[in-house]
Amino acid sequence: MLRQDINELLTQTGPGTAMGDLFRQYWIPALLADELPEPGCPPVRVKLLSERMIAFRDSDGRYGLMDEFCAHRGASLWFGNNEVGGLRCAYHGWKYDVTGQCIEVPSEPDNSSFCTKVKLTAYPLIRVGAVLWTYMGDPATQPEPPEFEWVTVPSEQTYTSKRWQESNWLQALEGGIDSSHVSWLHSDGLRNDPLFKGSKGNDYNLNDMRPFFEVVESDGGLLVGVRRNAEEGYYYWRITPWVMPAFTMVPPRGDHPVHGHFWVPIDDENCWVFTFDYLPTRAITEAELTAMKEGRGVHNEYVPGTFRPLQNKDNDYLMDRDAQRRGETFSGIKGIAMQDASLQESMGPIVDRTKERLVSADSGIIKARRKLVQAAQELRDEGTVPPGVDTAHHRIRSVSIVLPKEESFLESCRDALTATPGVRQTSV
Amino acid sequence: MPSPRPPVSGKPPSDMAMRPTLLNSCAWAATAAEARFRINAAPQAPRASRVVALDAGAADVVRELADQPWRGTRFLSYDASRSDGHGELDRALTDIVLDASDGRVRLSEELIDADFIMMVATAGYGATAATAIGNACALRGIMTAGVILGRDHDVDAAVTALRPHARVLLVTNDTNDVAEILSAVGA
Repeated sequence: MLRQDINELLTQTGPGTAMGDLFRQYWIPALLADELPEPGCPPVRVKLLSERMIAFRDSDGRYGLMDEFCAHRGASLWFGNNEVGGLRCAYHGWKYDVTGQCIEVPSEPDNSSFCTKVKLTAYPLIRVGAVLWTYMGDPATQPEPPEFEWVTVPSEQTYTSKRWQESNWLQALEGGIDSSHVSWLHSDGLRNDPLFKGSKGNDYNLNDMRPFFEVVESDGGLLVGVRRNAEEGYYYWRITPWVMPAFTMVPPRGDHPVHGHFWVPIDDENCWVFTFDYLPTRAITEAELTAMKEGRGVHNEYVPGTFRPLQNKDNDYLMDRDAQRRGETFSGIKGIAMQDASLQESMGPIVDRTKERLVSADSGIIKARRKLVQAAQELRDEGTVPPGVDTAHHRIRSVSIVLPKEESFLESCRDALTATPGVRQTSV
Repeated sequence: MPSPRPPVSGKPPSDMAMRPTLLNSCAWAATAAEARFRINAAPQAPRASRVVALDAGAADVVRELADQPWRGTRFLSYDASRSDGHGELDRALTDIVLDASDGRVRLSEELIDADFIMMVATAGYGATAATAIGNACALRGIMTAGVILGRDHDVDAAVTALRPHARVLLVTNDTNDVAEILSAVGA
């Protein structure tokens, strides 16, 4: 159980909140690069950390992310014209560049300097990999751009999707840290999903439903090691990294692509789940890419034209009781992503953690919460830069490996846990 | 009255739209408004927890913790340096003697009504005690966890000693994590 004030601290990320201030120390995913595909393309509404913004790409191809609403009368700039050099409000023609600076107020005289006094709040928007990232904090402390391996490998080796999840970001993140649900909720995926099935690791997973856990602090967050029995004298380890505040990776399976998530608050009751698959040393095959686009693996299908999952609250996630009865799916819900989302959304928009009944197997979640609270408080009280800002913390990998029982996963996997260009992932 | 035929695929049955559907009978029940109607039951019985310090460094931490209000949790420590009439038994790893605030007590007695044991260790780990506690808990179906205070190579030996016996291990520099986990599990 968690105190109500701590639950609120952890789940509220709007401006002026402790966790909001923490998130504003990091570059966070804002959009897929495909959403702003070319110079002068239509603008896109974006809400992050409870701030409504407009993203656009000007005629020179520069990215901008600024207050959604015109400084004049508060009309949405989504209706605006993306013209040469800036976005013009459809109401009275005020025009803004990618920095939020107003560059034209048509009602003012030609030589008026009035527009120089009008500037919308704007944040940097940069492309790294197939993702557009923003930093919503103090410009004076803007960190180096992100260096997560998933966005730094060549484009043919990586694929990213995003989906809207109708819950607070923290209960979504906690699902990424909690490895113990995999053998239950996702047991069908281990057997059938084209992006999961066929690895030796799956057998270990399914043969030992009572794993042991080891949680170790890392420079950027946590490493959660889960071990199961393998052959005599050996353990099968799955090591999940969490990099603060909201990046998790799933331990790999065989030669399948490595996947993970970035859990980004939209507001306190919704979040974006950026989901990726990548391979450090080979291109994603056509078959793998097709499977990802069809919503297999950790991806999902969509309501056409939206980022809303096809399986959602409106249709009870297309629950299939027959499939559940036949054992084809454990929960009756198809697909790993929606198996997670359906349960996390069922907890309510912000789960009441004062009523939960945790067990020691939840130590990863317990420790992650504590690290978030500590980081937020130390930032607020002492200005301490939190873990995960340093790009060295981004260069991490998940690992699955079989080790002799006496070996420490941390010692044995130090290299395997480090993202090294040109070196294959460590996977069973 | 016959029960409705279940859907044969992932799609809702064609007559579903004709059924009256209350907010609380579909996935839209997961709203903040509907959360008001969750049963507000009193907290369930706490775990019967025991916290055992395996070495002198851990004993200091556990002593401080024992002063805080807990729901029936007992705090104990193992002192490997103490030799008494139970020494032979200690070496047999079937039972050990622990220090409690109310005197000395056998592990086997302490476990009679326990359902959760947290072992706390530092670099001066007590492998003997970890083995004894782990074996005893395994026999009795008692959940075990270990918190190792320290980092990197300093605590390697403690990790190795506790790994076989703690279903959950947390390696941390932060002594407050012990209290954090105990609070979280309702101790």
